[in-house]
Amino acid sequence: MNKPMTAAALALAFGAAMTVAAMPAAAQDKMSEKEKCFGVALKGKNDCKAGAGTSCAGTSKIDNQGNSWSFVPKGTCEKTASKTSPTGFGQANEFMEKKV
Amino acid sequence: MTLHATAVPFKDGASTLFPGGLPARGGVGLKPEHFREIIESKPDIGFFEVHAENYMVDGGPFHHYLGRIRADYPLSIHGVGLSIGGESALDRQHLDRLAALIARYRPQSFSEHLAWSSHGDLFLNDLLPAPYNARTLDLVCGHIDQTQEHLRCRMLLENPATYVEFAASTMAETDFMAEVLRRTGCGLLLDVNNVYVSCINRGRDPNAWLDACFASIPLSSIAEIHLAGFAQDYDSSGASLLIDSHGSPVARAVWELYRRAIGRTGPLATLLERDNDIPPFQALLAEVSMAEKIMYADAPRALSGEVCA
Amino acid sequence: MSGQQAFVDALLDFGPANQACPSGLATWNHSDPARRFAVYRNNVMISLIDALADGFPVTQELVGEAFFRGMARQFAIAHPPRSRILAYYGRDFPSFIETFLPAASLPYLADVARLEMLRVLAYHAADRETLTRDEIGAALADDSELTRRCLVLHPSVAVLQSNFAVVSLWGAHQGLGDIAAVDPTAPQTALVVRIGLDVNVVGIDAATGRFIGRLIQGATLADAAIYASTAEPRATEFDLVASLGVLLRWKTICEFSAFSEFSAPGTSER
Repeated sequence: MNKPMTAAALALAFGAAMTVAAMPAAAQDKMSEKEKCFGVALKGKNDCKAGAGTSCAGTSKIDNQGNSWSFVPKGTCEKTASKTSPTGFGQANEFMEKKV
Repeated sequence: MTLHATAVPFKDGASTLFPGGLPARGGVGLKPEHFREIIESKPDIGFFEVHAENYMVDGGPFHHYLGRIRADYPLSIHGVGLSIGGESALDRQHLDRLAALIARYRPQSFSEHLAWSSHGDLFLNDLLPAPYNARTLDLVCGHIDQTQEHLRCRMLLENPATYVEFAASTMAETDFMAEVLRRTGCGLLLDVNNVYVSCINRGRDPNAWLDACFASIPLSSIAEIHLAGFAQDYDSSGASLLIDSHGSPVARAVWELYRRAIGRTGPLATLLERDNDIPPFQALLAEVSMAEKIMYADAPRALSGEVCA
Repeated sequence: MSGQQAFVDALLDFGPANQACPSGLATWNHSDPARRFAVYRNNVMISLIDALADGFPVTQELVGEAFFRGMARQFAIAHPPRSRILAYYGRDFPSFIETFLPAASLPYLADVARLEMLRVLAYHAADRETLTRDEIGAALADDSELTRRCLVLHPSVAVLQSNFAVVSLWGAHQGLGDIAAVDPTAPQTALVVRIGLDVNVVGIDAATGRFIGRLIQGATLADAAIYASTAEPRATEFDLVASLGVLLRWKTICEFSAFSEFSAPGTSER
């Protein structure tokens, strides 16, 4: 690849690539691709509604969090290998919000 | 002083809007959750309304679906981010984006809120209140004049849902709105849920609000009605504090107020807004049917949707 | 100070007391106006957190709703929107996550968020026709300038080069494989592209990622190929045919264009 590339060589590569691209997905394992198409179901984020409740009503969407941090990640991350945690969960307890 | 009737800017023909106005039927706020179902089932519904800012993106599914739906239905473009009641100057770039959207979709109606949502370069993403006085009046009228000239169409202004009042207010809300309409020639988008929410939150009688509205605002300038559900909360003294949450069916009291309003206006384009806890599309259609039943059973005037023509 | 400035200052006071209230407010029953004013503050914060939750669903699943909403709240306080178009709110969220100490135990989280933001951008990217197989064949025929051509790729196309297994981590939340089997520390490169209405995430090798990244920046085919095969660190060998195959298979090519104003792009791809 370090030699100057010619137009003919590039056209040839394109030709080969078109053959590869036309093959059924199963035949392309050597490309080690993982792919999947999913429609993103995004919502429209601009609206004229109000979020439910004030700072004291009883819904889960209420913004009543104080600024002392009390959460640890509790989601699907718990299923991943823990060796990826160089700093450990202990970090979370030491966090204090920086003044904005 | 020009009479109101002649002050209406950009009548059909000169306007960038699609002529004829919205039909005197029920409509629904268009949500991406319902795109496919609407295209597949082609429901019998009067019109759809979209929030302008959601379609200020370059391309992709939102434009794809809105284009297809617009081909089959009348459309109302409802802005939520222009900040007409703001002390800051209107954002010309935003006006340009609105103009482009109107040029692309040729909606039958364009509307915005009597509220503000931007301050300097901050966007606060809520419809914030302003005091009703001469200073705000000048500000709002100037911004509406600028908007109508820039977009080259007559816009509708929606009465807001508010949670606080200002000591600096010197005018009743209905008087304020009537004066805005008189000065600018814009129309009224009468949000009946907002009337109810704001009146309860200010300790006023919603029926009296409507009576005052009809006494000071010409029926011909009311071009659309909004209906929605609210959430119940309480203030520090335990009194009702209603939240304009668009997250539940229309309340019985709001239907009653709607009945009263439609009795005066006659059949009029009526939008069912639902932006939280969005139910299956069929549930919204049931509310649309309810609105159409009320407008045609109770209204004295027959089929007169072309109020803005 | 203007009335609205005071309103904004109180609105954005998310301090622990949560009781800031501008002067000049009245209530009909002489109840505390701060309580009523809090409705607005609550609306602002919830709507921004909801907007982030909508755009970053896998990031939220990884850390759980409570942690995510808390983190989103801190982000919204530090980075309130400057645009009236919320579709793109959260562009800075991945960088924020990277420096957010409570998430430090999940070093891959920021790159998963980057991938999700690229998907949002691809979703809303401009519509443009891509070349058919026949059109590409015609464009290739007898083009003596081919090495000096640039490829105009679909506006949705983006590449994310990560030190973490972003494609597998994201895929595990779409029913593609078991997250417990994923080694998060395996570097992966993602191609994001919208075909029609669907946004695709494609795992590609690092050298192909460099090649496509360079093309996006406006490099000629020859320059992009040389860059992909020589840039350090050389994690994988560059395979030109395979790389072109990715571009063709994912229908990314809109135009073969003449080289213009390619000013030695840096390594801005990630």
